[in-house]
Amino acid sequence: MAPKKDPRAPIKKAEPAAAPAAAPAPAPAPAPAPKARPVDLSAVKVEFTADQMEDYREAFGLFDRVGDNKVAYNQIADIMRALGQNPTNKDVNKLLGSPSAEEMANKRVTFEGFLPMLQTIINSPNKAGYEDYVEGLRVFDKEGNGTVMGTELRIVLSTLGEKLNEAEIDALMAGQEDENGCINYEGETSDRDVSTFASCLVACI
Amino acid sequence: MDCHNQEEHSRPQEEEDIMDIPLDDPEANRAAAKIQAGFRGHMTRKKMKPEDKAEGEERQEDRGQ
Repeated sequence: MAPKKDPRAPIKKAEPAAAPAAAPAPAPAPAPAPKARPVDLSAVKVEFTADQMEDYREAFGLFDRVGDNKVAYNQIADIMRALGQNPTNKDVNKLLGSPSAEEMANKRVTFEGFLPMLQTIINSPNKAGYEDYVEGLRVFDKEGNGTVMGTELRIVLSTLGEKLNEAEIDALMAGQEDENGCINYEGETSDRDVSTFASCLVACI
Repeated sequence: MDCHNQEEHSRPQEEEDIMDIPLDDPEANRAAAKIQAGFRGHMTRKKMKPEDKAEGEERQEDRGQ
């Protein structure tokens, strides 16, 4: 997910090893897409009520397994999810300045450092709600009849976007397919008294 | 609809009939990513619940009423 580029390295390629002038050095690797400018967290105005701060601090504390009042970069997405947000992994990576895998595991952030990150996600203009899930599923509704094939959705979710693994897909799909293997993603359910797929996704927010 | 890359996977014929997976389609990828993000959020919250519940209930009593 995170590009291999070391964020500390200058954007311009600066090979420390002396390159002989003559060699027409081909690009060492296909130039990665220019890294998005990291989000300027210091500019984010954090606006949470005291109650919210209490909730956030508590959730944050649950994730601190080391006891240093910090959490690792690779926990940030989950804390945000625990707090009702649905960031993509890409959103979080961008927030963290596209960290390397090593940084994801080892860099830690304080609660104060975490708050502007959370605020940014909360302020994010393209947050998905019920309608977005319906629209998202509609993309895969071949017949335009308000249902998607369970098998098709499984394939989509494991090959596109931020792929889910099999266990995750099983968990997601549990109880969603009707007797024809179809998922009704909007409107009335067939004869089950359960929420439609899309409302399941928003249910716990 | 563009065809999927056949050299990437050799899918059985019936799967090809079921769908052409739009691997490169940004809209499809965005749609998938949104669903996946929603799912991951949902699952994380679901997992947190048993842990949270004991404390959460107490606090709710303090705060709610």
